[in-house]
Amino acid sequence: METTLRQTGSAVIVDVVGDIDLQNSPRLRKTLLETLQHAPRVIVNLAQVRYIDSTGIASLVEGLKESQSRKNRFILFGLSKPAREVLRLTRLLTVFEVYETEEQALAA
Amino acid sequence: MGLSLQLVLSSDPRLLCVVRGAVDRLASVAGFGEEDCHAIVLAVDEALTNIIRHAYEDRHDESIELSCRVLENGVEFVMRDHGRPVDKAKVCARPLELVKPGGLGTHIIRQVMDQVSYEPLTDSNQLRLVKYLAKA
Repeated sequence: METTLRQTGSAVIVDVVGDIDLQNSPRLRKTLLETLQHAPRVIVNLAQVRYIDSTGIASLVEGLKESQSRKNRFILFGLSKPAREVLRLTRLLTVFEVYETEEQALAA
Repeated sequence: MGLSLQLVLSSDPRLLCVVRGAVDRLASVAGFGEEDCHAIVLAVDEALTNIIRHAYEDRHDESIELSCRVLENGVEFVMRDHGRPVDKAKVCARPLELVKPGGLGTHIIRQVMDQVSYEPLTDSNQLRLVKYLAKA
């Protein structure tokens, strides 16, 4: 799994590529929490996530909770089929702010 | 002998993707479609993750046995570990109304699989998962 950060205005986009599982979800968690420390809006691009399990979802939930405690925005977009399915199974799809495209996520 | 695959793996998370690949192909051979294959992969992955994290308490040098068997009408996975027995009462999915990071794996397993049985044996723990093909 790789993550890259892009700054667009006040938002930081976190592009996530690859598989998110027990091996690398701690890295995702660390990236999200560190980014939330300085970015009022963190937008996570999941379009190239081939696989995500509950440890990956847990990292996203931790990001969401951190954003709520900081009163920041935490947004997901481009949910890949695997990501959408796991969020649906765990009934967390409606908990997150989710958009189809980067443009929609930035405009939100 | 029916179609079967036996794996003995270290409890190292780096091997999870290797197992996922094998399970995905096996589920496809068993006749499951793409979405079901993905769901089966997810459930097995979650089960192995639970073994690594809870039975073996994140030790990465222990052994997990995974037996996969294609059934006439589905697929069966049996996982055996020699770690700490899990309190059966806690092998229940937690209420999802509580939005918190952990405890999702068991829920996913039960959502995906048609049969889930956990049994602490004398010297090991055994988890059996079965998914049946949808009737035509």
